[in-house]
Amino acid sequence: MPLTARGEAIFERLPGAAPRESTGAIGCQIVRHEELCIGCGRCASACPSGATLKGDMFDPMQLYSAPPDSRRGAIGTALRAIARHQPSGSIAVPERVSAFRTIVFDASRCIGCGACARACPTGAAEALPVPAEEIGAGVSG
Amino acid sequence: MTSTAAENTRAPETEDGAERKIVAFFCRECAYAAADATGNARVSLPTTIRSVLVPCTGRVSPLHLLKALADGADGVYVAGCLEGQCHYREGNLHALDRIEFSRALLESVGVEPERVQMFTMSAADSPKFVAAARKMHETISALPPLKRK
Repeated sequence: MPLTARGEAIFERLPGAAPRESTGAIGCQIVRHEELCIGCGRCASACPSGATLKGDMFDPMQLYSAPPDSRRGAIGTALRAIARHQPSGSIAVPERVSAFRTIVFDASRCIGCGACARACPTGAAEALPVPAEEIGAGVSG
Repeated sequence: MTSTAAENTRAPETEDGAERKIVAFFCRECAYAAADATGNARVSLPTTIRSVLVPCTGRVSPLHLLKALADGADGVYVAGCLEGQCHYREGNLHALDRIEFSRALLESVGVEPERVQMFTMSAADSPKFVAAARKMHETISALPPLKRK
């Protein structure tokens, strides 16, 4: 588990101290449902460890899989009507377009705090309890 | 009526003879004023163009552009203020990026990105307004009609 900037600052003030090896099992497991994501970026703002970021790319398939009554779904319906083939890969997003960005989630940096799930307005980021067999698996000493 | 005006209002010449439809979003502060001046000067525009007034081009979202295409338009264009001259500071810059994004979306599904374009002009620049309308008309007339499912 990587330290946050604040955590690193604390260790700098304590000479000789070192962080204990991560237990890897302190928090919840984050499951992302990309089809529900509206790209608001609240999860990225709430994330304390930098595991969730607003990316520079957008996957047009997210428009196809979005609920039909959502704004992304409406764009997906329009795009599907004129499309000649399935969207091919992700596209680069210009600077001032903020809502159409695929959220990048890096599970290796996630500390399982669940802040993204609390911040998410659509339930696209979900915090699940860690399965019982994994609890304590990473604890050493 | 002069011969050039008659020429402009003539039915569009396309290879298959079918008329194209172009939806145009005009900024109220500049392009619409230019459109007014064009009308006062009795210069005619291509008959393919259907205009929509918006308070600022920053109001136009990818949904407006793609829905227009999905619902029958063969091309869509947005006419807004010159860069740095937006009445709402940077609405036209947002529009430019959204149009770039919409073009990338179209390209990713195999539709010609030229079907969506943006032009900028000042309120007094009626000739540029007419040139933009004619250029869009020529671009879309050269493309086949947009197929829909």
